[in-house]
Amino acid sequence: MERIARILLFFALCIGPQLLHGQEISFTATVDRKSIAVGEHVRLTLTLTNGGDRFNSPDLGGLVVVGGPSYGSNMVSTNGRMSVSVSRTWLITGTAPGKYTIGAAKASVGGGTIQTEPIVIEVLKAGSKPSDANASQGQRSDPNLFVTISLSKNKAYVGEQVVATYTLYNRYAALELTKFELPKLSGFWSEEIEVPDNGWSEQVVNGIGYRVAVLKKQLLFPQRSGKLRIEPLELTCIVNRSFFNRGSSVDLRSNALDFTAIALPANAPPDFNGAVGELELSALADRTSVKANEAIEITVRVTGRSNLKLLDAPTLDFPGDFEAYDPKVVDKISVNASGMSGSREFQYTVIPRHDGHFDLGSVAFSYFDTRSNSYRPLRSAPIVIDVAPGDGGPAANVQRPSKSDVVTLGEEVRYIRTGDLGLRPKGHFLFGSFSWLVGMSTPPLAFLLFLGWHRKRLRALGDVEGTRRKRADGVARKRLRDAEQALQQGAHGPFYTALAKALHGYLSDKFNLGVAEVNPNELRQRLAHLQDGTELADTCARLLSTCDMARFAPVEDKPRRELYDEATQLIQRIERSARA
Amino acid sequence: MKRLLPFLFVLTTTETIAVTSLHTDSLLARGQRAYAAGDHQTALAAFDSVAQNMNSAALQLNIGNCWFKLGDVAHAILHYERGLRLSPGDEDLRANLDLANEQVKDRIAEKPSFALGTTWAGLRGGHDPDQWARRSLWACAVFFVLLTAAIAMRQRTVRRMAWVLSSGALLVLVLCIAFATARHSELMDDTQAVIMAPKVDVLGEPRAGSKVLFVLHKGTKVLVLQTADGWCEVELPNGNVGWMPPATIERI
Repeated sequence: MERIARILLFFALCIGPQLLHGQEISFTATVDRKSIAVGEHVRLTLTLTNGGDRFNSPDLGGLVVVGGPSYGSNMVSTNGRMSVSVSRTWLITGTAPGKYTIGAAKASVGGGTIQTEPIVIEVLKAGSKPSDANASQGQRSDPNLFVTISLSKNKAYVGEQVVATYTLYNRYAALELTKFELPKLSGFWSEEIEVPDNGWSEQVVNGIGYRVAVLKKQLLFPQRSGKLRIEPLELTCIVNRSFFNRGSSVDLRSNALDFTAIALPANAPPDFNGAVGELELSALADRTSVKANEAIEITVRVTGRSNLKLLDAPTLDFPGDFEAYDPKVVDKISVNASGMSGSREFQYTVIPRHDGHFDLGSVAFSYFDTRSNSYRPLRSAPIVIDVAPGDGGPAANVQRPSKSDVVTLGEEVRYIRTGDLGLRPKGHFLFGSFSWLVGMSTPPLAFLLFLGWHRKRLRALGDVEGTRRKRADGVARKRLRDAEQALQQGAHGPFYTALAKALHGYLSDKFNLGVAEVNPNELRQRLAHLQDGTELADTCARLLSTCDMARFAPVEDKPRRELYDEATQLIQRIERSARA
Repeated sequence: MKRLLPFLFVLTTTETIAVTSLHTDSLLARGQRAYAAGDHQTALAAFDSVAQNMNSAALQLNIGNCWFKLGDVAHAILHYERGLRLSPGDEDLRANLDLANEQVKDRIAEKPSFALGTTWAGLRGGHDPDQWARRSLWACAVFFVLLTAAIAMRQRTVRRMAWVLSSGALLVLVLCIAFATARHSELMDDTQAVIMAPKVDVLGEPRAGSKVLFVLHKGTKVLVLQTADGWCEVELPNGNVGWMPPATIERI
């Protein structure tokens, strides 16, 4: 077609100078319509009549070429006058609403230039579904080659998974990626998603067809709340490289994205483990009835959609008699375009060392459920293990757990007192109180009462014997004093009478004797139980007989003073030995 | 008559308790239930209303625990100290006080206490503030019973024994009264106080704007030496002395 046009043109030019002389030259730009919606096409035709075939393309002022140019030529003979026109037609479209001006196209004809009139095209908003905003934005920067980042959602809870997709839109035939730099993701924990290499797929953006490739997909987990920004992706491509052409290098920058991470609600339960998503929990022991020293495997399985790779082992409190090892983690996690899902298993190996019935309780934790947007507790069925005595009894425990110091894990105030608190009225103390004074003064008062009563009773009973015995010493002293008086007066008779009376009275009082019973034999008998009783009795008898003798006969074989002293000493000795 | 004596004072005290005990019991039960359920605010209110006219070391422990759980260490210390004053030998109170003191910001090097002081503290220790007063009553009764026996008994050996024992009882009685006096003066002592304000500047003179000697924080125990013109002079366990407003402390 083009060739034919060129040949025709050649002919036209050969015969042209004379033929064309005086002929009209024109250069026009026409569009089939001046108002389109985004994505609709406009046909732009430039026609140069009788001016050769060389003219520049006009500046499209932001409009995008979808197809073309296609060439056309026309030869018309009117009244023997030939006119030749050459035309180029483009299909152009607008990617965003607005007014666009197609600039003037210039053609050089002869010695001068000729140019077309500018055309204003109005692009209206597309009435139908809007195209991907990220793609539209990218399309505006370079309609032929652009790259976008898109997120599965622009708003998510901290820890919730979001899929980021990096997509390349291309209209070049040959494209080579030379540099590919993933954006920095501050505030996110990211996980690569394996993307199967599907090659190029076709997609139309705002009416323009592109070959589209998903470069990469990432799973993002926001780590902190607030506004997070995803910086642009940077690419360097070489386009149109062929055997003959070195091609040209194009630097691409994708759009940046603002992301809002919503903080988790504040009322987190204490056993919240940080997981966000949709989870289920199960805990199973491979057997619940074993013998001591046999291993049990307890599997705690968490399944669902969440950031399973960051899931920590739930705490299991094993009884002290259990030897527990760190759990083995078995992951069956798939990361794909729909996010991270699968299961994570914690396999605890425990060995009960003693027999008994052990209730291990249930495994429990809470996570943030994104379906209900609230915290949801998970609790497994309780694990109960019966341990029978091991083979060979405790002696078989070759591998006994070594003793270790009791470690203080936490401190807590001692619990409150219950039961009887021993309450008493405030500020009331026994000491110094009325009760205390009464309690202190009652015993002495009672004692005084008792003393009085005791004396009275003694007197009332007429305890002659006791009274005599008690008073023997006193009476003797009194009589001895009479004797001493007589001694000092030098009275012979009265002295001996008083001395004899004193001794006689003392002995009869002391040993409860009648007047006639005071004789040596009786005295010996009565004084026998005392120390030196016999000697004392003899001395008594001797003194008494001396007194009797002296009373009736003025015979003195000893001085009176000596006799008096002897009597006094005797009484003292008897008192002393009677007390001993 | 003499046998009835020890019960005399028991009767007088129980009578006063009996009037309020019904209401008190229900309050205590409510407090204990609330504490067990973790509702320390309600438990504190219940125990506090009991403490308005009743008192015991155990009650102070409960109130102190409530404050501790509510995070107010200063009040917890105040009540633990009050409880310990009533019963210096209470191990629970001592342990909880130590735990609470760990959270007090101020650490003051205490003056070393001499050995006799700790022995004295051990001797006076007990779970009952009336312990020595009660013992003195018993010693008094025993002394006079023995004295009576020494006079009334016929057997000479028994009389002799009673005399010896009664002189021993007299010694015990004197000691008991001495201990009871000491304990009573200790119970009546209100010179110790706990700082309740988050931070207090202790000044060199009882005058606003005078030199700040040191800064004390919530929960520290001080000794109040004197109070004058809206200021009180306090002494720290390490011997430092300064002035502070009385509103910032609460007496134990």
